[in-house]
Amino acid sequence: MLLSTEEAFDRRPELRALLEGLPRGQLARALAALCGEDYCLEDDSGTPLVCGTAWRGGDGGNRAPLEHELEIVGWLCLGPRSPVAAQALVPMLALLLLAAARYRMTAALHVAAIQEDYRVLLEKHGQLAQSEERLRKLSAELESRVQEQVAIIERAQRQLYQTEKMASVGQLAAGMAHEINNPIGFIRSNLVTAGGYVQRFAQLADAARRGDGAAVAAHWQRGDMDFVLEDFAQLLQESIDGADRVARIVADLKTFSSVDTTEDALVDLNQNLRSVVHMAQAQFGHVRIELDLQPLPRLSCHPGRLNQVFLSLVQNAAQAVADGGVVRVDSASSGDAVRVRVHDDGVGMAPEVLARAFDPFFTTRAVGQGTGLGLTVSRDIVMAHGGRIDIDSAPGRGTTVTVTLPLARGRGA
Amino acid sequence: MAEYDEARATLSVKVVYYGPALSGKTTNLMRLHDILAPELKGELMTLDTRNDRTLFFDLLPVGFRAPSGLLLKFRLFTVPGQVAHDSTRKSVLSRADAVVFVADSQRNQSVNNGESFENLAHNATVVGLDFEQLPLVVQFNKRDLPDVLPEEEILARWGRAPWPVTFASALAGQGVVETFAALLARLYSSLDARHELAARHGLAREAFVSAACGGTVSCC
Repeated sequence: MLLSTEEAFDRRPELRALLEGLPRGQLARALAALCGEDYCLEDDSGTPLVCGTAWRGGDGGNRAPLEHELEIVGWLCLGPRSPVAAQALVPMLALLLLAAARYRMTAALHVAAIQEDYRVLLEKHGQLAQSEERLRKLSAELESRVQEQVAIIERAQRQLYQTEKMASVGQLAAGMAHEINNPIGFIRSNLVTAGGYVQRFAQLADAARRGDGAAVAAHWQRGDMDFVLEDFAQLLQESIDGADRVARIVADLKTFSSVDTTEDALVDLNQNLRSVVHMAQAQFGHVRIELDLQPLPRLSCHPGRLNQVFLSLVQNAAQAVADGGVVRVDSASSGDAVRVRVHDDGVGMAPEVLARAFDPFFTTRAVGQGTGLGLTVSRDIVMAHGGRIDIDSAPGRGTTVTVTLPLARGRGA
Repeated sequence: MAEYDEARATLSVKVVYYGPALSGKTTNLMRLHDILAPELKGELMTLDTRNDRTLFFDLLPVGFRAPSGLLLKFRLFTVPGQVAHDSTRKSVLSRADAVVFVADSQRNQSVNNGESFENLAHNATVVGLDFEQLPLVVQFNKRDLPDVLPEEEILARWGRAPWPVTFASALAGQGVVETFAALLARLYSSLDARHELAARHGLAREAFVSAACGGTVSCC
């Protein structure tokens, strides 16, 4: 049920309810004007509803039924002094009742419809609120899921960087070991020879202490001391050179020991390039690595990370060329940026390989030979410096990688 | 639910003319008001707007007295057909004892007829009527118009439905009384079951129909 019975627009029309829809005072005045004050409107059970001031019960008067919707809903009762018969007023009153009923029914139906509209609106509102709540929950969940994924990606990326760093350092270490082993080998051999020479000098010293000039001369002759003297000096000089080489390698390595420091430094990149090339040269003996460095303004950067980039590029270049191939590293300044180029005359890249060169884990080398991360990480590092990295390559024509680093711009991420 | 007032010896029955906009519900009532000649016939209360759209409802009361003295009063209502007035339609349909569904016979009105009929079935349930048990007659109106569905097609489509189908040209006054009579015949069963019209009030089905229509029509 939409409405309770007393509110329903189609309820049985009672005279009392119908009269409430009419201006009561006006009805009374109109009746009094027509038939004097000696009148009364009763409902169908005889209860007086509207009576004139002179109404005394209607003895000797007359009455007529008021019909509405086929039923008698009340009576018009007139006293004996009324100038008109009750029946004469009935059509007018019926018309009034019809108008009143029409108004009451319409008003009640209107209210019912409005209430129903409102109920439907509330229902829809409730559904909307529910779906909004679902969306809100979903979006909150989405936020946390995205954060979760971002955390996973960031963790994976840190692992990637670490992997690439370990791989390049590992390759480097293999080259370094060889390079340090070499001088150590000949220094030790020289020292053993020098030990033999010292024994000959000891024998010569014995003869000299005794003042035996002939024995000294004999020993000198037998020990080929002219050669020993000459060779000893040569041997020492060789060993000093070897020690210097080791010292230089250690110094270069020290440059790389700054990989994990996080502070920026103001550096001349040419020095870094020299270190990098030294180390790469040590690793790739069969390749000639040339340097062509122009004076550079000092650049605020993370030197350790850029070393990693340049070493990675030079290693790539060296691996691309055959024995006797040439890798050239040059640097130049264009006023607002520093440009470093690593060029090789090696095999070059096909367009489809070039297109994927920066993709993580993309590698053309055999399993275990490359991580497929060198260029990925290099690009990230260069972009973090606000710079860019470009590759120009074609099969058989070699490859040129250009790194451009702005002087003015601060580092990004 | 018919209202039985024992003190006043009155049984008031509510009949609702339902259907799509402009299908001729108000016209049905106007013609019934003109044609029916029952013992008692009230004024037709119409509440339509300038462009003949029913805004709230129309009401035509007709009635007669049974041999027992019981006043049988039929209050014939129309609903506003326009889709927007659904809440008003629900309120008018509420407490209906019987429904005449006035469909528009024109070919291009089939969809509107279908939607309005579904709306009737839905709203009947919403206002608490048992649609399966509700006395219902489907009237295909406007038979006088040119592009209407042929009767055979309509009967083929509606023939298996449990409701009688009538045809009418309400503007010309054709078929409106027959529709009302068909509805009365169905209504009689449910009223007789509840109020013992035959046993207590001496009112058989045929007498019931012809008294309500004014003796001009015989039923069944």
